[in-house]
Amino acid sequence: MFEKSLYDLIRGLRTHKGTEQEYIQSSLKECRQEIRSNDMDLKSTALMKLTYLEMFGHDMSWASFNVLEVMSSPKYRHKRTGYLAAVQSFRRDTEVLMLAENQLKKDICSPTPTVISLPLGAVPHVVNPGMANSILGDLIPRLTHSHPAIRKKTVVTLYRLALVYPETLRPAWPKIKDRLLDDNEDPSVTAAIVNVVCELGWRRPQDFLPLAPRLFDLLVEGKNNWMAIKLIKLFATLTPLEPRLIKKLLPPLTKLIRETTAMSLLYECINGIIEGGILEAVEGTTEGEEVARLCVGKLRGMMIIEGDANLKYVALLAFDKIVRSHPHLVSQQQDVILECIDDPDISIRTCALDLVVGMVNSENLIAIVGRLMRQLRNAPVASSADDPANDRGRNVGVVPYAESDDSDAEESLRPAEKRSNQPPPLPEDYRINVIRRILEMCSRDTYANITDFEWYIDVLAQLVRVSPSTKFATATDEGKDNHPDDVGYAIGCELQNVAVRVRSVRPEVVAAAQSLVLVDQRDKMFPASGNGGQGVLEYAGWLVGEYANFLAKPESIMTSLLHSTSLQLPPKTLAVFLQAIPKIFASMSGNEQISWTPERKTFMSLLMARIIHFLEPLSTHPSLEVQERAVEYLELMRLAAEAASGTATGAAYDEFTEPPLLLTQAIPALFSSAELNPVASSAQRKVPLPEDLDLDTPINLHLNALLAEAELSDFEMDDDDVYAAYTSPVTSYTSTETTSMSAAERLDAPHKEPTSYQNAVEEEYLDPDIIARRKAERRERYKDDPFYIDPEGQQGSGAVTPLGSIVRAGNEELDIDAIPIMQLELESKGSGSEEVARARSPRRVPRRVEIVGDETLGAPDTDSLREDIVPPRAAFSKGKKSLLEVDSSGLGNLSLSDEDMGGGNRRMSQLDIERREQEEAEMKKALVEVERLRLEMQRASERVEARRETVVKKKKKKVRKVEGAEEGAVKKKKKKRRQVVMDEGAPAEA
Amino acid sequence: MINAVLVFNNAGQPRLTKFYTQLETSVQQRLISEIFTLVSNRPNSACNFLPLPPLLASSSKSSAPTTPHNDTPSLVTYRHYATLYFIIISTSTESPLALLDLIQVFVQALDGLFENVCELDLIFNFETLHATLGEMIVGGVVVETQLDKVVEGVKAQGRVAKRPVNEGKGGLSLGGFGRGDGVWAGR
Repeated sequence: MFEKSLYDLIRGLRTHKGTEQEYIQSSLKECRQEIRSNDMDLKSTALMKLTYLEMFGHDMSWASFNVLEVMSSPKYRHKRTGYLAAVQSFRRDTEVLMLAENQLKKDICSPTPTVISLPLGAVPHVVNPGMANSILGDLIPRLTHSHPAIRKKTVVTLYRLALVYPETLRPAWPKIKDRLLDDNEDPSVTAAIVNVVCELGWRRPQDFLPLAPRLFDLLVEGKNNWMAIKLIKLFATLTPLEPRLIKKLLPPLTKLIRETTAMSLLYECINGIIEGGILEAVEGTTEGEEVARLCVGKLRGMMIIEGDANLKYVALLAFDKIVRSHPHLVSQQQDVILECIDDPDISIRTCALDLVVGMVNSENLIAIVGRLMRQLRNAPVASSADDPANDRGRNVGVVPYAESDDSDAEESLRPAEKRSNQPPPLPEDYRINVIRRILEMCSRDTYANITDFEWYIDVLAQLVRVSPSTKFATATDEGKDNHPDDVGYAIGCELQNVAVRVRSVRPEVVAAAQSLVLVDQRDKMFPASGNGGQGVLEYAGWLVGEYANFLAKPESIMTSLLHSTSLQLPPKTLAVFLQAIPKIFASMSGNEQISWTPERKTFMSLLMARIIHFLEPLSTHPSLEVQERAVEYLELMRLAAEAASGTATGAAYDEFTEPPLLLTQAIPALFSSAELNPVASSAQRKVPLPEDLDLDTPINLHLNALLAEAELSDFEMDDDDVYAAYTSPVTSYTSTETTSMSAAERLDAPHKEPTSYQNAVEEEYLDPDIIARRKAERRERYKDDPFYIDPEGQQGSGAVTPLGSIVRAGNEELDIDAIPIMQLELESKGSGSEEVARARSPRRVPRRVEIVGDETLGAPDTDSLREDIVPPRAAFSKGKKSLLEVDSSGLGNLSLSDEDMGGGNRRMSQLDIERREQEEAEMKKALVEVERLRLEMQRASERVEARRETVVKKKKKKVRKVEGAEEGAVKKKKKKRRQVVMDEGAPAEA
Repeated sequence: MINAVLVFNNAGQPRLTKFYTQLETSVQQRLISEIFTLVSNRPNSACNFLPLPPLLASSSKSSAPTTPHNDTPSLVTYRHYATLYFIIISTSTESPLALLDLIQVFVQALDGLFENVCELDLIFNFETLHATLGEMIVGGVVVETQLDKVVEGVKAQGRVAKRPVNEGKGGLSLGGFGRGDGVWAGR
């Protein structure tokens, strides 16, 4: 039989270009054969190959028993292969783990250091509480092994044991501590212990305070940078508990900052000073100022160093930690930090973004938001291929491919060459993050930083256009209040908030909402592709309805709301639209001054007919909210239509005829009674309970009788109309098609390149139409201002002034007389005076704006003030663990201090002791069982050896049957173990 | 602590996978390919810290914006050497710059063991690759950062095989990594 070594396998892979999958499958088949062989060399080679293929995602869990076999080989080479395979392939549910325990114990006690190392490295990967309890006794003596390599690995392995079985630390910690305190201990072992102590440290810092002197000595004397970093991190968790440490730590830390050559150590010193609260502790003293200046100065240096993005990144991380306590220190570094917002590296950008939010104020807000907006508008949209969620690995596994032999795999490992420096396209979650951050910055403290609300409204309108498409827009069901995946909702919420709170800009907000709702403008207002920003419609719909009297053209808004595309909107938005329709109708019909002429009557009747036509199909809409509103307003409209048709029109044009009262009085009264004001979310709770409120007295004493009666009479009136309404198929609102833009049209949208990186010109982040409107408004506002220079006007700054024309005339002699003497006419503000001043920039004087705060009763709660604007993220359930997370929470409950250690057992409750005894008894029983099964297995394998010629295929079914026949009394755990043995034993018995 | 160490080449082919928690093979593969997608799209001037891949980000989203929990993997550090990417996934309790140095020590140790190491050495001797890592990190905790001790520890386990002779057709005489190139930044 041809045997392949690992080398052959890899060579084979490299030569089978194009047919790698087949080659792997045939190799796996061979391995299945070889691994059953009794030749340990062959077995181990097969296992090696399987482990190699496992790296590419080929399952080898079926071989776990063979892994054990190879592990138990007496030869070190085999053992090593076996242990590696165990580490790489054993999972939590691997059934042979119980069998492995004995082998682990045996190897831990081996006299050969290299053999001891194998279980020490493997145990952290496979350990469970039962196993930890069982091997603990064998591990602890290894702490005093003569070989330092064994000692250091044992320390770490014990730590991992403690993570799953915290009791480990009771016997182990005093011994580890002795090692740490021993001055003559090998520095490697000390470093390893420090690593472990650092891991334990943040869980129970108070237990490590007694060790502080020794740790301090290690920090001062140590020459190992890695250990020094760990010590600093540990001290940062200790200083809050022991303020005296700060004074002691400061000199060595500042010394390290000044002297060390290692950038990582320098950085961690600064980080330790920040995280340990040392800055706060020494604040106010001259020493404190010096430390702060030193730290910030070094961090600034890290940002400026040319070409080291890593330093930039970590410096930003550190600034982010200072900004909460010392915002002034950070805002001094504003210049370098703002540069990072536009860094080509997404990691740095994200970091800078987080930081910038903390340092924004009313002076830099517009500049910062401008930078971010420019980014959103100009960066290319990330293609789906760049999205890590869409990569190939999701569907197809990684296939090892064949490389030709002259591939670059032979290149020695040097740092990679420079590749292109092009900025990567913005990923969608980054876009969403940027938009959310902009909203957060602007809305902070009830818009304290905003000086120009019209600018803010334009920014919001522009944000809608750059918002990324969402995946779940159609899946928004009712009752789901926060929409984490569509920023459109957040933008809409801001529009609504501004409209409600800032009365003076309400017309502008409504104009913005109007342009969003208008159907014929939607292509322009929303992103060209995808369904991004649609969430804003819900709020825009509310705005146009609530503030209908501000609408410039209510007719066209009505047309848009009644448009067939509205039917495709999510139910929640549709419900809002339904509410807006009668509001706008009321504002259109409510004018009493317009005579009820035949034209007026026709117009109103037509309008009502259209509304009725729109509402009718919706009265059977699956969403109850939509259905209810549709039915209500349908009835109201029918009533109004009847009233309108019944009212006689005035014949002649000159005389005034009263319009029907229902239209002018009744319907408007539904919507215009009181103005809405922002109310603090906590106000409801503060409403005092009326004294005479009695919730116990039944309102109707005969309720039960009435209900019973209703039940009886329920089926008698089976109205045909009602029946039909519920049974007739709904067709009208599903068959309509959305009008969509052709692909070619979408491509037309031009991308403007940024022209300047120095200052944020709004031309770079606002779309042309918004800019045009802003300019028009500006011109309007300043048309009477003699100092305003119209950049586009004929006589603007770019145009030639009389003086300019003389200078530009160039070579000719300067004729003094040709310079006109200007008449200063204070009275007339004509165009002539615009030419006077050119130096003044068109700076806008910030208007005083009144911002309405939340209404509440009594003193406002600070905690819930602005919940509506920055909705707090719903906390995920705490039970959810991150993928790679190793949970160390068990350690938190175990005290390590000396007093507690001694009496540890005494402090356990009777219940604990009983439980432990029970566990130990169970463990003992299980061990006996394991031993028995081992013997059985051994016998079985001997039998196999005897009949090797007649190898029979595994018969799983049969095994199962035998298994099923087993008495049910056997515990499930044991059953599983037995099954493994049976699987192996079957061929022999068959 | 360190949650995982990965090595893959420019095409995303894994060369070493070591997870310090037990993870389904399919999830491992997905994580590798997500990280590869992230890392291969980065310009060379970019910093060596990755944003979290979706698999890790989704579950830690709730805590990430405030203070990441100390047990949650929140740092993905990588270094790119010639054809290979070296990646370390760790919690926030590790020092980012120190991890970069750790990768450097790992690569230097391999260079010391294989004499002018290249990807082929690692393909054919992946057992040695694992052994080297095992001398530096046990169960996610760093046990050794001294280069000579790491090399010594691996050598104690047996002879380190050089890559098969007939495999390297030319192209071997590339200047050794870390010798005089000034790559060891001395951080």
